[in-house]
Amino acid sequence: MTVIEPKGPEVPAKRPRRAHAAELSAFGEPFLWAHGGALAIGIVLIIGFLVLVLWNGIATFWPRPVAVVTLEDGSLVAGEPSRTEPFRPGPELLSSLSETQRQTVAAADGWAERRLYRIGNYDLYNEDFRWIADYAVARVDYPPEMVFVERLEWGPFVGMVQALAVGGETRTAASLRPGELQSELAKAQDRWQRIRHIERSLIGAVNHEMERERLAVRRAILDHGAGSPAALAAQAAAERRMKPLEERYQALAAEARAIKDADAAVTITLADVGGRDKTMPLSQVVRIYAANDLSLIEKLGVYVSRWWEFLSEEPREANTEGGVFPAIFGTFAMTLLMVIVVAPFGVITALYLREYAKQGRLVSIVRISVNNLAGVPSIVYGVFGLGFFAYILGGSIDDLFYPERLPSPTFGTGGLLWASLTLALLTVPVVIVATEEALAAVPRSMREGSLACGASKWQTIRNIVLPRAMPGILTGLILAMARGAGEVAPLMLVGVVKLAPELPIDGYFPYVHLERSFMHLGFHIYDVGFQSRNSEAGKPMVFVTTLLLIGLVAAMNATAIVIRNRLKRKFAVGHF
Amino acid sequence: MLNESLTGPEAGGTARRRRPKRTSRAVLIADRIADATITVGGLMVIFAVAGIMVFLVEVVVPLFTGGSVGTHTQYRLPPAEGAVLYTAVDEYNTVAVELGANGRLAAHHLRTGAMVANVDAGLGGADITAFAATLAGEEVMFGLADGSVRFGSVGIPIQVLAANGMPAGLRRLDERDATDGEAVYTPIAGGQVRKVALSFKSEEPQRVSDRPIRLLDYRLGGTVERPTRAFVTIDDAGAVRLSLAESRVNLLTRKASTRVSTSALPPLPDGLRPAFVLLTDKADQVYVAAEDGTILRYDTRDFDDPVLAERIDVLPGDLRLTAFRFLIGEQQIVVGASDGSADVYFRIQNHNAASTDGYSLVLAHPLERQPAPIVKVAPSKRSKMFATADADGNIWVRHATSEQTLLRLDAGEGAAGLVMSPRDNGLYAVDSRRQADFWSISVPHPETTLGTLFGKVWYEGYPAPSYTWQSSSGTDSFEEKFSLVPLIFGTIKATVYSLLFAVPIALLAAIYTSEFVQPRVRAVVKPMMEMMASLPSVVLGFIAALVLAPFVETWLAAVFAAFLTFPLSLLAAAYGWQFLPLTVAGRLSGVPKFLTMAAVVVLAGVLAVASAPWLEDLFFGGDVRAWANGDVGSGAPLVFFLAMPAAYILSALTYDRLAGRWLPALVPSGSGGAAKAKSLLRWLVVLGGAACASAALAAGMTWSGFEARGGMVDTYVQRNTLVVGFAMGFAVIPLIYTLAEDALNAVPEHLRAASLACGATPWQTAVRIILPAAVSGVFAAVMVGMGRAVGETMIVVMAAGNTPLMDWNVFNGLRALSANIAVELPEAVRDGTLYRVLFLAALTLFIMTFVINTAAEVVRQRFRKRAVQL
Repeated sequence: MTVIEPKGPEVPAKRPRRAHAAELSAFGEPFLWAHGGALAIGIVLIIGFLVLVLWNGIATFWPRPVAVVTLEDGSLVAGEPSRTEPFRPGPELLSSLSETQRQTVAAADGWAERRLYRIGNYDLYNEDFRWIADYAVARVDYPPEMVFVERLEWGPFVGMVQALAVGGETRTAASLRPGELQSELAKAQDRWQRIRHIERSLIGAVNHEMERERLAVRRAILDHGAGSPAALAAQAAAERRMKPLEERYQALAAEARAIKDADAAVTITLADVGGRDKTMPLSQVVRIYAANDLSLIEKLGVYVSRWWEFLSEEPREANTEGGVFPAIFGTFAMTLLMVIVVAPFGVITALYLREYAKQGRLVSIVRISVNNLAGVPSIVYGVFGLGFFAYILGGSIDDLFYPERLPSPTFGTGGLLWASLTLALLTVPVVIVATEEALAAVPRSMREGSLACGASKWQTIRNIVLPRAMPGILTGLILAMARGAGEVAPLMLVGVVKLAPELPIDGYFPYVHLERSFMHLGFHIYDVGFQSRNSEAGKPMVFVTTLLLIGLVAAMNATAIVIRNRLKRKFAVGHF
Repeated sequence: MLNESLTGPEAGGTARRRRPKRTSRAVLIADRIADATITVGGLMVIFAVAGIMVFLVEVVVPLFTGGSVGTHTQYRLPPAEGAVLYTAVDEYNTVAVELGANGRLAAHHLRTGAMVANVDAGLGGADITAFAATLAGEEVMFGLADGSVRFGSVGIPIQVLAANGMPAGLRRLDERDATDGEAVYTPIAGGQVRKVALSFKSEEPQRVSDRPIRLLDYRLGGTVERPTRAFVTIDDAGAVRLSLAESRVNLLTRKASTRVSTSALPPLPDGLRPAFVLLTDKADQVYVAAEDGTILRYDTRDFDDPVLAERIDVLPGDLRLTAFRFLIGEQQIVVGASDGSADVYFRIQNHNAASTDGYSLVLAHPLERQPAPIVKVAPSKRSKMFATADADGNIWVRHATSEQTLLRLDAGEGAAGLVMSPRDNGLYAVDSRRQADFWSISVPHPETTLGTLFGKVWYEGYPAPSYTWQSSSGTDSFEEKFSLVPLIFGTIKATVYSLLFAVPIALLAAIYTSEFVQPRVRAVVKPMMEMMASLPSVVLGFIAALVLAPFVETWLAAVFAAFLTFPLSLLAAAYGWQFLPLTVAGRLSGVPKFLTMAAVVVLAGVLAVASAPWLEDLFFGGDVRAWANGDVGSGAPLVFFLAMPAAYILSALTYDRLAGRWLPALVPSGSGGAAKAKSLLRWLVVLGGAACASAALAAGMTWSGFEARGGMVDTYVQRNTLVVGFAMGFAVIPLIYTLAEDALNAVPEHLRAASLACGATPWQTAVRIILPAAVSGVFAAVMVGMGRAVGETMIVVMAAGNTPLMDWNVFNGLRALSANIAVELPEAVRDGTLYRVLFLAALTLFIMTFVINTAAEVVRQRFRKRAVQL
């Protein structure tokens, strides 16, 4: 390699010096490493991030053993061991330690290790987690009789089964037949489901009917005035229809009460590791397993059933347990609705800009503005959505169509429709830009050919341009969906709630309730991870939700990339 | 157009087979419809998008419009017998009540002036010489000629009755209201009736002096069950007395008894003629003002030993003090003078003050001067708004804190009575000729001006004007403080720190990807970084707040160490790599080299964590957080860290200069083994020199007493800017990276080829050819990243702690515009001031990002043009 002096032309006065290789500094090796290192930092960060989320998300539902820790002072603590961390005991803590413990700490330069145990039994201890320093531990056992109980209330219970009472007949843990506990549990859960079905679906339907009657009366009063014949007639009719509803309500309530009585007779008595008893109805138990006595298959069973619960159930315990089905449903419903709105408008605008508008200064300004709008913070769209959609549009709709429900707003507050419209506005620039690019990529020759063959402008667009541009448009739409699905900030203003009592789609007329507030995976993460009473208890749940959300967004993005690649290939062939 | 020519009748006429000559109707119609739909739809979307900004502006504008007058009614009242002591208006602007010195209580209908009731208040013909009323309500007090005082209350109780509760035979007042000679009945929504009546109560006189009471002020404190009533009196002889009256209800007899304890204030200076006296609601301050502008402030916190705290003269020359009143909250005093000035004073803590209690009364808000002497001041019952009337009949409505004049009304002659409606929606004035004026007014946002939103405002109790955001309101007298400056500052702070982290990494990585990496690696690396861009920010926020923040808190020293270990390990590895024979290096230059880099990065991370405890002990007194707080150690390590990069550059330059000029033998040339060794040696020497230089600087600065902490490094809180910077940097890196990489890639290939062909190394090509050509594109990429950081919401909401502070401390939190909107808008009342101010915040954010993005777009357009030219 013959190489020239790099500074040659600028310093002609210098004596030319030739070498067989470039100077070392010309290769800039240290700089290269700084650049490469930056890239490596980026890659390591993202891999680390993904590993963190994947590991925590996937491992959360795996049943872990329950350790019984015997402390130096003889007391017992039982719980699922979680992470460890080094810490530095403060002077007060140090002075309360025994001499040997102090020496252990001193030997490690004043540092010590501690481990976090999920001890459960919140109703007994008032805490879910406990840090135990390594120097305080005398012994750790994994006795096979320890069970991990997931409950509807108070979080998990860690301890032993003491007795099972079925209709006045009490049996101790020792005398239980194998599988008997599980079969009783299944029966209890069936009862619980039945109660829930009666209370939520059947009584809910009756309540819904009654509410409708009440609103009909109010409407009549508003329309015709109080005391007018029409209002009185409506009142009489409502009372007539109310009576059977009332009776049905009483019947259902009685049935629910009967099942509840039967349910209360089946109780389970648990004891914590210190011997404290806790008796509760068996139906309060969601899942019970002997944590230290599980085969791999059984562990897998628990794992799968927990995932299933997560994906199909409703949340419990301030969203820190149970499932996220309503959030998944809400996210999907909102994204779908958003796409239905954004697709035609985005595509029409792009068509207008590319095919119809006269290309000039104005259009290029519009194009720059559209590009810029893609960079406007999402929260600004949220503010607009709240002020314009919910308050002004929704307020007018309420005044016109739902005066009988005022002052409680129907459309005049955040809801699914407004959230979707807000996100549609937020993502419309993405779709416009992508569609425009796709339209621009359709060769001019094809358009001209079509027009030359006598097709009208619309025929050309419909039959020639749009089909060619479709993959590009789809890519844009999917990217818009991915952005919409992951966006939280504007939704906080226009209709997402931490706990929505009803899904936006149900069995009551008009079946689709666009005015209802809804749950969202992203907001669920914010709420549980940030606003709940016990963020440590909610953390595993948040990781799983995060995994789900990232998976969703990644899947959409991957689809977009695949489509984009296909598109490229197609054009490579289709160009003429 | 082509299709038009085809629709002509003769088109295709030469064809043998007969083809339809006309385009089918359906096609034409479809074409028209498509035409119209697309044009209308496209324009609609464009307008809708422009409408966002218009809408935001429309919501924001009322913040700056001051006030407006709805209706104005004017009528003449029957002449009053004697002076009018007290005027009041009810909450619904139905009646105005006047209490005369003759002991008669008269109410007339506010909108027509018709007399509704005129009753004897039952004061028994006492000779009233002084009068006071509490600001908030109905409690009044009379000072009598015999030196005694009497508590009383004048109420306008309001009841809502069912429609059939309205008595028969009412006299109509106007189309809405009717009266029975005692109360006014108004039909309201929902078929109900509102009854507005009068009530008066008075208690037995309490003797406090032997001489007639001349001035009086009265405050109600304590609890509802056991009210303490404090009042201050000045009698004919100029004796000032502070009294406390405690009422007790005897549980057996149900009789209330009142015990009054009195304490004499220090005597007034000779020749001072008191004109006004004021008492705070906690009875801890008494103000006595004389006509010549002298104000005496007494500290009465110790009831038994009141002292004169301060004496100031607020008026120059021979101006006369004509009005002296508290605003709500009893901190701010409006001082009206004969030159038409109406200024607002309050007491601030001031340790240098000449006063005995460490406070001093200051002129906080000089307001616009009225044309004639001020005669009346009417404070609002719910805000810092007040009305001032001058001798010419001008009535101005003003706001103390925002210093603006909201309304200018004209009443004809100097007002004798002036009162603002309890809901701030009306103003009632009676002038000396008994002409009454009632204006229904609307002043929705008196507290906001451009000045209060973007400038320093002096709020009561604050030592000086400041930028403050404090929007939650506890009580009526609490003033919401809306300064957007701390929020804008928070946004900028978060942006700056995240860009400090993101820009170097993103740009260096982009250059490396575009110039030094094989296409195979690039095809993996780039989509990976792009994937990072699509991560929902709520996820990043969650990881930042719940994983990163605790980690950083535990491993703070490791974060410091990382700033050393990362560059040092990478450079050390680079110098090591140089020793590889050229052939080996060439063979390994692709994936293996990059993997080595990644390994070095991981190693540097491990090294940072491993060296943290050691570093903490050595530099930070064993505890970084305590060190940051300023409790242990010195600021020297910080100076050392901050000076290091500059010192390194300086050291390298010095070395090259020295070695290049005077020690040419030391400058390595070529790329042989000796050169490699020398280059390593050079690096070590330079590094050592830099370390020595910055250590010397640090030692010198510490020795001279300079404390580096307290600015960018101060007290540590868990949710802090460092964490936000990391997380937001993580969100911004892929964006900047992708765009910058695209810009670098868009530099025409022939430039690269030409440079390499001339013998330049890839490094030289990258730095001297590609980067200059792409610099505008790279700049645009940074701008877009900045735009994203400015608007990012969830990360700042979750990880920034949301404290509206204004300091550059990395270890402290911040409150950004976007986070503030997300947190406060869900609770803001529609169309309230907070609601509109938050819309203004959104508009500010919109404009900020729009400007940044437009700048980026313009630069990018220029770049494209240039790239084409090249």
